[in-house]
Amino acid sequence: MARVLVIEDDRRTAAEIAAALGDHGFDVECAYTGRDGLLRATAEKYDAIVLDRMLPGDLDGLGILATLRTIRTETPVLILSALSAVDERVRGLRAGGDDYLTKPFESVELTARLDVLIRRHSMPQQETTLRVGDLQVDLLTRELRRAGRMVELLPREYRLLEYLMRHAGRVVTRTMLFEEVWGYHYDPQTNVIDVHIGRLRRKLEEGGEPQMIHTVRGSGYVLRAAE
Amino acid sequence: MSSVRLSDIPRTTGFRLALLFLGLGGAGAAILFGFLYVQTAGFLARDVDNGLAREIRVRAAMNATELARLMNDRAPLDPDNMRPFALFDRAANWMAGSRVTLPEPLPSPDQPFDFTLAHEGKAMPYRGVLHRLDTGEFFLAAEDVGPIQHFRHLLAAAMLSGGLVVLMIGLAGGMIVGAAALGRIDGVALAIERIINGNLSERLPLTRKGGDLNRLIRVVNRMVDEIERLMNEVKGVTDNIAHDLRTPLTRLLAGLERVRRRDPASEEYADAIDDAIVETRGLLATFNALLRIAEIEAGARRAGFKTLDLQPVITDVADFYEPMAERKGVSLVVDNEPASDGLLAGDPSLLFEAIGNLVDNAIKFTPPGGQVALRALRRGDHLGIEVSDTGPGIPEEERVAVLRRFHRVDKCRNAPGSGLGLSLVAAVAKLHGFDLAIEDAQPGCRVTLWHADIPGEDRRSDPQDSAPADETPPEPVARLA
Repeated sequence: MARVLVIEDDRRTAAEIAAALGDHGFDVECAYTGRDGLLRATAEKYDAIVLDRMLPGDLDGLGILATLRTIRTETPVLILSALSAVDERVRGLRAGGDDYLTKPFESVELTARLDVLIRRHSMPQQETTLRVGDLQVDLLTRELRRAGRMVELLPREYRLLEYLMRHAGRVVTRTMLFEEVWGYHYDPQTNVIDVHIGRLRRKLEEGGEPQMIHTVRGSGYVLRAAE
Repeated sequence: MSSVRLSDIPRTTGFRLALLFLGLGGAGAAILFGFLYVQTAGFLARDVDNGLAREIRVRAAMNATELARLMNDRAPLDPDNMRPFALFDRAANWMAGSRVTLPEPLPSPDQPFDFTLAHEGKAMPYRGVLHRLDTGEFFLAAEDVGPIQHFRHLLAAAMLSGGLVVLMIGLAGGMIVGAAALGRIDGVALAIERIINGNLSERLPLTRKGGDLNRLIRVVNRMVDEIERLMNEVKGVTDNIAHDLRTPLTRLLAGLERVRRRDPASEEYADAIDDAIVETRGLLATFNALLRIAEIEAGARRAGFKTLDLQPVITDVADFYEPMAERKGVSLVVDNEPASDGLLAGDPSLLFEAIGNLVDNAIKFTPPGGQVALRALRRGDHLGIEVSDTGPGIPEEERVAVLRRFHRVDKCRNAPGSGLGLSLVAAVAKLHGFDLAIEDAQPGCRVTLWHADIPGEDRRSDPQDSAPADETPPEPVARLA
């Protein structure tokens, strides 16, 4: 079970985050001050840290982050901030953060992003083929087969599918897909991504195969091997 | 115009200026009058002295006996003692001529001196010269200088009264000028008071002879025009926010109250909670959009700026929205002008979002079978972006209003969307130094963004701008390069 440290000064927010992460299957610990958080982060081993950007006292989020990176603690850090994206995002990532989420956020967004961070950190990607159920992609030739049938994809569709396959079985939100596949950072308030996913789905199911990309209500998608 | 308070007049610039000129003019006049007075009086006195000296010269050759006779002859001819002559012995006792007593001590001989003589009970001013004969007797020649003194007094009095009149006129003029200035200032001040108290339609009154003041008033009035426009805009936005947020909040509350009241089965419960989540999500999205626009408008978002080419951003937008256009039966084309590539400073995510909003709108309002075209433009040294469609277009009178938050063209009020999209486009355009124009494409609508700067001359005020941003996770420019 993945261990996650939550450094957040507001106890109710911390409790909600802990509850959401706990429901998702994480083992959660909370620290309510920057000092306590830094102590725990250096003394113990965590799989990920959720760090509030604004902490009271002399040690704020970016200070903790900078200290951790200085002493070569490579635990992935997701920064939470009430400062809406703006320049703060760039600043947080430059300071050594691995991802950035603006308050208020949805719990699915937080857990999905943490999943990705932990997986990215724990297993370096060296494989040349990805396989989920009867879906198989050759990462070198970019050839995709479903149950032996060749599927032709546009470059963008290929990237969408590759990302979903790398995180198979886990929820991936629309914003994450947009950031990863298109490379721009904002929350597109449209259903355009649904349309892209719809196209991808049709291509994957052209041969009458069962559905693999499932919509998670209100938040995103999950790719699962068809039963 | 309000009543003028007398106590305020001395503080007005007009009054003080009048007083200053009065002082300067008065000093000039005093110097001129003083000079005239001294010259005139001196001339008259010298004239008397010369006459007396002549008299002495003529009689000096005579001896005492001849002089005594001459004087006794002349004295009755001058009953008013206009020009008294007298002879005194060696002890300065009167011998002959007019009845005159010499002043004590004896004035030095042959030097003019002033003295008085009693005449009909009054002391009259005289000027005289005492000459000592070779035989020791004294001979006095004198002249009544009363008329001269009288003339000098008259002259001084005339100058003084003239000065007083000028002073009065000056003061009165200063008061009038000051009062007029006060009146004008009071009018302006009252108008400003009314504006402060909330009457933004009030304007400062122009004065008939205003001059400089009118110029100032016109500028201030223009400023008030602008403030009124902004206030109305803010008020409109606030009203719209209130309206646009109240509706979903009402639905949210009603839904929650309904399940609380009915206490339904768990399935219905779950549905109600899902509905509440959807509403809350929508509210959050609206709030976030508002905050983002405010932030971008405040120019706070610069750290994401880098040197970029517009063409790849435009291609990405087209690529992103293409499936949506296809589903609606609208063709989305990219039609870049030749040589429209070029570098400028910008935030790729913001530009993508802004162009995306334009394309999203265009697709939404273009009927099936229509076309939405995206173009990178170049005119001379300036780069631009154009999004045009074949939809119904935006009426001319609405083209400024659509950029406001929550504004929706009336016939589109029921179309989905927050009404914030174009506000964001306007804010992003302003942050990047783009001029936004909405035109009639006949048919349809054309939105163009022209970059004001010449490409290559990036505004790199922030040293971070030039730093490579490659250390951050997938950045579009790195990928597109």
